[in-house]
Amino acid sequence: MTGIAENVFRLLVFPGLVFTLVIGMFGCWVLRKVSALIQWRVGPPWYQPWVDVLKLAGKELLIPEQANAVVFLAAPVVGLAAAVLVSTVLWNALLGRHAYVGDLIVVLYLSVIPSLALIMGSSASASPHAAIGASREMKLILSYELPMAAAMVVALIKAAASGSPSGQVLDLSSLSAAKVIWSISGFMAFLVSLLCIHAKLGLVPFDIAESETELAGGILIEYSGILMGIWRLVQAVLLVALPLLLIAVFLGGFGTGRWAILAGFGKLVLLWVLLILIKNTNPRVRIDQAMRFFWFVCTPALVIAVILAILGRFYGIGWL
Amino acid sequence: MELDLQIVASPINGMITSVRAIRPRRWFIDCPAENVAAVCRFLFDQAKLRFVISTGIDAEDCFEVLHHFCHDPTGSFVTVKVSIPDRTSPQLDSITPFIPAAEWIEREIQDLFGIRFKGHPNPKRLILADDWPEGLYPLRKDYRP
Amino acid sequence: MGWRLWSLKRSVWVYHVNAGACNNCDIEVVDLLTPRFDVERFGIRLVGSPRQADALLVTGVGTRQAIKRLQDAYIQTAKPCLVFCIGACACGCGIFEGAYHVSGPVDQAIKSIDPDAIIAYVPGCPPKPEAIVSGVVKALSVV
Repeated sequence: MTGIAENVFRLLVFPGLVFTLVIGMFGCWVLRKVSALIQWRVGPPWYQPWVDVLKLAGKELLIPEQANAVVFLAAPVVGLAAAVLVSTVLWNALLGRHAYVGDLIVVLYLSVIPSLALIMGSSASASPHAAIGASREMKLILSYELPMAAAMVVALIKAAASGSPSGQVLDLSSLSAAKVIWSISGFMAFLVSLLCIHAKLGLVPFDIAESETELAGGILIEYSGILMGIWRLVQAVLLVALPLLLIAVFLGGFGTGRWAILAGFGKLVLLWVLLILIKNTNPRVRIDQAMRFFWFVCTPALVIAVILAILGRFYGIGWL
Repeated sequence: MELDLQIVASPINGMITSVRAIRPRRWFIDCPAENVAAVCRFLFDQAKLRFVISTGIDAEDCFEVLHHFCHDPTGSFVTVKVSIPDRTSPQLDSITPFIPAAEWIEREIQDLFGIRFKGHPNPKRLILADDWPEGLYPLRKDYRP
Repeated sequence: MGWRLWSLKRSVWVYHVNAGACNNCDIEVVDLLTPRFDVERFGIRLVGSPRQADALLVTGVGTRQAIKRLQDAYIQTAKPCLVFCIGACACGCGIFEGAYHVSGPVDQAIKSIDPDAIIAYVPGCPPKPEAIVSGVVKALSVV
């Protein structure tokens, strides 16, 4: 039985809010700096994400008159809380600690909450731009949640095939042990889920909801001051948490042994590099193009992957 | 190959006052106010000239409206010049019903000069502010701010 | 107030307002925000909503129709904020002084709703992007 103080420490400092924020803000900076270098320019200094949030904390907080103030104020906080929970659970699983609560279902469940909080917050904004942004975000969620879950199903089949005890298939550590990516179906599922978390993070080409040129700020148009700062923190935490989910499920976790931490961070940086590549080589897509892509390209690919995985399990072929 | 407007415009000779070229490839057609729609329609439909823009002028004793057309194969400009002697409530036939591209420029001339275009499908205010007083036409020579 | 000003100077999010400009200055502002001039190294970023902006880049002379909207945009901007008047028209009516649709220079319109507004002027017709960058950086260093 761990004490309350220890739990609070785990949630808020290590490996929860503070630890993840430090890595996440570093990740935000890496995203911007590498994009700048790709565009042959210099880019912001390393402390830029921190200074952005600090500046937002110092600005006036404006709440629209007709907005639902309670939901408007609560939405970013709820989003941050859920994101921190996701990251805490994943860190605990990856760093091999005992006595943590959470398996794959919990993580998937919690990872939807920041997007839902975004929708609730923007719907409470009482602005037509935010309403359009919210409806587009809703459509986007409907598009990418199914491929995400189906990709997890592939990983589960692989984990069961590689002999983990049947009661513990959903456990994140047993999924890590299964090394899902070294198989055709696992690789396909990994690619699709990479695109899904790209959409969940709201990066180009899937940043339809927050498109600044089309919707004048879209989903976050009425947010200012510290609330906007909290949304930026949510983005930073998710930038760590969602790749960690992929590392735990597909890339074999942090592993054990002396180089575990280094290998784990190497995998995190690899995923960041993939996200940056996709972000810098694609224009923003329309919402109907995004829906068509997820429903008619990703989902059939995953159906094939699931079939391959089941065949692999049935016939004992590991690389299917 | 040059555009010879004297020949091209011969079918409408009865409706126009004069055709003249003030320099090569720059033609002017003067016509009375009541024939402007028919003349422009002829130039647009039969002579296949491209409508470019219109101009409004406050000459001291009358208003003038110029419709500019272009003959792309030769690079010639043809201007139909119409004079409106009535200064108290000037009106002119609109060419928008058969040249839709003229809609906005006629609304602009209407806002700034007060020339009413008869038959215009959408004679709403275009470029003056919403709270600009009615009856005040800024580009008239007797406008005082 | 020290940390607020310090962080504001290092992270300026701009919102572009056209108060009746001929679009020349707008083209230069849009040019400025392209990767060639790299304003992101100063922390400058274009945002789509005035609520998230720290600096309003105002172009144009302030026509009768646009002046009210400009004042609305200023009220909606979260304070503290800066106003940059880009171009000769925004600095003081330019060649349109006394014209029929001009409703006063932009800085008077903003001062009439907020006498303590911080306004910086970047003259030019249009000012080159380098001039706008230099103006913004100079203003930030003296604020």
